[in-house]
Amino acid sequence: MWKVYKYTLIDLARNKFVGGWMLLLLGISFGLFQLEDQPVKAMLSLSQVLLALVPLVASVFSIVYLYDAMEFTELLAVQPLRRSKILGGQMLALGTALVIGVLAGAGIPLLAFLPDGASLTLLLSALMLTLVFVAIGALIAIRNREKARGVGLGLVVWFLFVLVYDAVLLWVMFAFSDYPIEPWIVPLAALDPIDLGRIMVLLKVDLSAMMGYSGAVYEKFFGNATGILVALAALFAWVAAPSAWAFKAFRRKDF
Amino acid sequence: MERVIFEGVGKRYGRMWALREFNARFVPGETVSVIGPNGSGKTTMIKCLLGLVHATTGAIRVNGQPVGPDPAYRHQVGYMPQISRFPNELKIGQLIDLMDDLRGHERNRTGGPLVNALGVDAMLDKRLGTLSGGQRQKVSAVLAFRYSPSVLVLDEPTAGLDPISAEIVLDAVRNIKRDGCTVLITSHLMEEVEALADRIAYLQDGTLRFLLPPEEIQAATGHARLSKAIPAMLTNTAKSHVESL
Amino acid sequence: MRITTLARVAALALAASVSGPSVAGTWTVSPDGPLKQLRIAIGSAQPGDTIRVLAGTYPEGTLTVDKPLTLIGVGGPVIDGQQKGDVLLITAPRVTVRGFTIRGTLVSNVNDNAGIKVKEADDARIQDNVVEHCFFAIHAANSRRTVITGNRVLGDPSAPETRQANGIHLWRCSGAEITDNVVQHHRDGIYFEFVTDSHIRRNKSLHNSRYGLHFMFSHRDTYSGNLFQNNGAGVAVMYSKEVDMRHNRFLRNRGASAYGVLLKEINDVTIDSNIFIDNTTAMMVDGCNRAEVKGNTFQGNGWALRLFANAMYCHFEANTFVGNTFDMSTNGNPVYNTFKGNYWDRYKGYDLDRNGTGDVPFRPLSLFAMVNERMPYAVVLSRSLLTGLMDQAERLIPSMTPEGLEDAEPLMKPPHGTRDL
Repeated sequence: MWKVYKYTLIDLARNKFVGGWMLLLLGISFGLFQLEDQPVKAMLSLSQVLLALVPLVASVFSIVYLYDAMEFTELLAVQPLRRSKILGGQMLALGTALVIGVLAGAGIPLLAFLPDGASLTLLLSALMLTLVFVAIGALIAIRNREKARGVGLGLVVWFLFVLVYDAVLLWVMFAFSDYPIEPWIVPLAALDPIDLGRIMVLLKVDLSAMMGYSGAVYEKFFGNATGILVALAALFAWVAAPSAWAFKAFRRKDF
Repeated sequence: MERVIFEGVGKRYGRMWALREFNARFVPGETVSVIGPNGSGKTTMIKCLLGLVHATTGAIRVNGQPVGPDPAYRHQVGYMPQISRFPNELKIGQLIDLMDDLRGHERNRTGGPLVNALGVDAMLDKRLGTLSGGQRQKVSAVLAFRYSPSVLVLDEPTAGLDPISAEIVLDAVRNIKRDGCTVLITSHLMEEVEALADRIAYLQDGTLRFLLPPEEIQAATGHARLSKAIPAMLTNTAKSHVESL
Repeated sequence: MRITTLARVAALALAASVSGPSVAGTWTVSPDGPLKQLRIAIGSAQPGDTIRVLAGTYPEGTLTVDKPLTLIGVGGPVIDGQQKGDVLLITAPRVTVRGFTIRGTLVSNVNDNAGIKVKEADDARIQDNVVEHCFFAIHAANSRRTVITGNRVLGDPSAPETRQANGIHLWRCSGAEITDNVVQHHRDGIYFEFVTDSHIRRNKSLHNSRYGLHFMFSHRDTYSGNLFQNNGAGVAVMYSKEVDMRHNRFLRNRGASAYGVLLKEINDVTIDSNIFIDNTTAMMVDGCNRAEVKGNTFQGNGWALRLFANAMYCHFEANTFVGNTFDMSTNGNPVYNTFKGNYWDRYKGYDLDRNGTGDVPFRPLSLFAMVNERMPYAVVLSRSLLTGLMDQAERLIPSMTPEGLEDAEPLMKPPHGTRDL
């Protein structure tokens, strides 16, 4: 696995898109911190950009990269090497490259201008979302033979998670506002990885407001590090589940 | 002892059988040309052997080892695909290093069959993304012959190559065959097939129509040229098939 | 027999004390001196006398000070009430209690037992004491001109809420000065009911289970330079008029019903130059008339301002709103209130005429804040793309948020420059 990982990473290191993504993030981050007179405000704007863009870029790039590598993957698959090691190496390399892109592109400005817990949480949630959407992208690329279809599906999934799911959630809140749905809202939000990443940031920057909602229900959960740890664990599950599915599909895949 | 055994191998995609009841045995040192029209099942058959496609029915053995989740049998297998694409940003040398690592082979970029003959040793520092189709086929050929395979699968090996390189590759096929390697080769070029094949496997609609030495085909049909003999053979087998009913 | 003992003790004590032309006598109580009990010293002293109490622990039960005396602890003597009731009960005017550590009140559901209780006694001075793990700590009722200063009032952090009472509690008092005290781990840190014309300055009220400061029916009082932090429900001020609050800090008061400051039925209040950080609701305005809210900083709160529709003629000017989850919310249409020249970090307007204020008005009430008012749990959607789009759409084509609720002259920069908080 590590051999596939190493050479895939060498390939990705020179990939123009990965470099471009890092530069784009650097530009946005520095721009925001220069533009806003208060670093907190810049961080909040950056969090909105990251929470929307990171999933999009991670999934679409992974899908495109894996499609383009399909013939090479086929060649690897006829080597004396288990298939799980091929996919494992490729996914890890994609994750590593994109994580480095986020760390360098957004992490450096964040920690330079606002080195505090909120910045770290935002960075952590952007990194987790990168891994989640690499896994989702891999799953899509493996399960669909056509590149255009795969990329389209990636966009649809992103759009679902970034906007549609929240709209549905809001509608559910309205529709069932006469029922005691309060305890269900956070678990429901956890079904959307982007919401999870966002809630992690909220627990740092908007804890005061979250404590208002929590009342008795989530006071313990929100009040200390537990909330962030639980959100983090849920994000890990969001990495693990699509990965496991992708591995299963890849093992059974016919080239 | 047989090197490769297909026993009742079939592959179904949805409701369509791409290959059905394929039975064949291939021995060391023989070269088999696998021919047939597009969609006849040749690629499916080859990919089943390579483990790229999971057979729906039947079993395949290579040197007695089953084709399945255990990748060990692939140490014996070389493969040159019809179309080769590699990671754009890797250098040829790095690709060869990776393959040497994966095969547990000592790294040796400049050594091995075809490296020098096809001029790949002069391109080791070129990035794979900058190569032409023909150059990529050369790299692919080098990788296929590299680890002394006892089973070599070549999918249209000369299609993208210049005539000189194609001749070099075919020479390499003759050599490796002499060492006891079983070579499966698909090709459209009848001259190539005639010159190399010990037996010819003809597939159509997922079914093996015949698997015979060229001489027997020629004898049975009275045509000296395979391009004539094969179509004649097909009408014969069709007749005998009808008669047998 | 008893009289002779007392006389002997008195004679001894007087002999040990400073001699001189002074009219008032001075008594000294110490664990190893001839005068071992504060109770006996108080009984023997004349009005106007001073009693010095040296370091040591004095188990005294309830001590009543029924004549004007000055009690001074030297080296932090401990008076232990032994769970009998109040510890120090002051019933005479002009009593000073300074430098003691007080403990051992009886927890009671019937009586307001206190570490130091001032009962119908004017001009009491409670200074530099430590009141430890008491039920009520310092309690004053029906007294005028009480001075409570420099005390450390430390409740028991492990006590359940039902066994806690207020730290500094005043009832029917006037002209009180409450300054430089620290109150923590009580029910309400500072509690006023019917307390008028009083000053509350530079106190710290922290970690109290209910309110850091709680007052009702208390008019013409000023609160300045205080710190209210990590209290269960923040600060509540109710049913009072002519209240003046300046330069206070309201920090980290978090919870579903926690407020930096809750104003309920308050008339003619000035809230100036206060700082509100990290509160669930920084300022809740419910049924207030004529509040002048100026020059305050609201930063990182859940709701900076909850302005109910029953608030009238409240004016908000030159305040700074930065990094709040919601700048404002309301339960209706608080139309009779005005905003002018505040700094809102969400303001995205421009200032073409370069006069320092934006050329288009800012509407502090966002659509999402209104949604959230109906469904508090919707807060989990804040800062999402969805709510961002909702608010943007509402800002471009206002349709749901009340008209006229706007700051026509939003500042382009915070009024005092960027405060580094």
